[in-house]
Amino acid sequence: MTETHPAAADGPRHDIRFDETSGAVTIGAGKVVESEFASVAIKLDQDGNSVRLRVEDLRTGRVRFLDALELESLVWLGEGHLTQLLDPSHERWRG
Amino acid sequence: MTAVVPSESEVQEGGSRYDRLIQPARVHGTLYTDPSIFAEELRKIWHKTWVFVGHESEVPQVNDYVRKQLADQDVVMTRDKEGEVHLLINRCAHRGLQVCDDKAGNSSSFRCPYHGWTYRNTGELLGYPYNKGYGGKKQLPLGMGKVARVASYQGFVFGSLAAEGQSLEDHLGAAKGEIDRLVGLSPEGKVSLDAGWLRHKTRSNWKFLAENETDGYHPQFVHGSIFGVTGSPIGELYSDNSTAVTRNLGDGHSENDLRPEFRGFAEPMRWFGTTPDRVPNYVAAMKEAHGEDADRLMIEGAPHVMIFPNLFIAEIQVFNIQPVAVGECVQYATAVQFDGGHELNMRMVSQSIGSVGPAGMLLADDTEMYERNQRGVAMADPEWLDVRRGLHRESVDEDGFTIGTATDETGMRGFWNHYKSLMEAED
Ligand code: FES
Ligand SMILES: [Fe+2]
Repeated sequence: MTETHPAAADGPRHDIRFDETSGAVTIGAGKVVESEFASVAIKLDQDGNSVRLRVEDLRTGRVRFLDALELESLVWLGEGHLTQLLDPSHERWRG
Repeated sequence: MTAVVPSESEVQEGGSRYDRLIQPARVHGTLYTDPSIFAEELRKIWHKTWVFVGHESEVPQVNDYVRKQLADQDVVMTRDKEGEVHLLINRCAHRGLQVCDDKAGNSSSFRCPYHGWTYRNTGELLGYPYNKGYGGKKQLPLGMGKVARVASYQGFVFGSLAAEGQSLEDHLGAAKGEIDRLVGLSPEGKVSLDAGWLRHKTRSNWKFLAENETDGYHPQFVHGSIFGVTGSPIGELYSDNSTAVTRNLGDGHSENDLRPEFRGFAEPMRWFGTTPDRVPNYVAAMKEAHGEDADRLMIEGAPHVMIFPNLFIAEIQVFNIQPVAVGECVQYATAVQFDGGHELNMRMVSQSIGSVGPAGMLLADDTEMYERNQRGVAMADPEWLDVRRGLHRESVDEDGFTIGTATDETGMRGFWNHYKSLMEAED
């Protein structure tokens, strides 16, 4: 059997194209950070006064920018905090 | 530096110190050389009134920041996550360290390199390491310093280090209309100052620059070479035959109003030294945006206005003057960019490079004058600088402003009047 699904080390699977003018994202064959549970496009954004990471939830289109200090803080986030973030009632479905 | 004290005969009895040093037709040389006057200016002008700091377009994205100077204060202009612009004083609340080092960046928060205290880009203290030393988290009622009041007009951001005082709009007064004129030349009704600032250090007192900005007497001499090389007709607008006027706009603001001349020619884009056929897209965009009024706007052109104490709009460039010491200041310059005026913007950038860039001709000419001026006023005799030109032929225009001819020192006299009122005020 031919192996088509990527090993984790291959990185993103989809080729993401950002339309600079409309801000839209198109996904070709290729690269994205994705699992059966979530699908997220990542891009280094240069529009600000220094580079940021642009993270887009491809299922909702919601976008968040993360600056270097925020990203560094994420790396150091304790498991407990991360778990708390994953709790669906913590932020997203609080109602 | 030796301060030259007015001689007995020149001291008018009874008046304040500034009454003696600032008279209707002359000002005393020590105003430019006395360190104690400079220290008083910092307190009474730079730390009190509204000072131009930068433009909102320099922090276009949420969490963008740029470092700025407000006289002797290192200031960080930030845009928070709600889009609001702040002016933080670049000083850590712990041990006073300068928190930001880069000239610009994008970050929601700032972490001081000394002990890791971290602040939101609104200045609020977010946290500090090893918090048990302070009895836990969120125990310290501290934050980065802030410029007490921040306000903007047409995207021009001003700060005042005094918590109380007149509003920015009141301070700008009649100068608001000049800023509006500039913005009116944008097809989208907006200017940006995002082309980057050139930084020029000048070994001169800041007031020589402020006074010179609307001195219509010097261009033919100081800028004769650039006018000659470029064949510019601007020089003639500053002569005895010109219908242009120098206007004291009040509150220390002044302008050279060249509109009477341009109205006479009635040629759109002449103010920019070009013709409509050379910038067809811009002209079309202006007509689309302003309809019938477009021709008038493009005939009258951009303002030449000095807004007290440090914002100078010179048609296609904006200057930001900040004092460093009694004999030193820094002048920042950038090309105006009209939103929706791409075609003109590129020309404004290249013209700015030619006039105020490192090899530019206009600013180098002026700087040579400022520096020689500074060296000259350190000399003992004569003690005074003369500002009487046109005093006998001033008149009042239909709006009640004092005006002189294109080459008169009306703007300077307006500057000194206002300066005196600020310096005489209680600390
Ligand atoms: S001086 Fe800034 S954390 Fe100590
Ligand atoms: Fe000049």
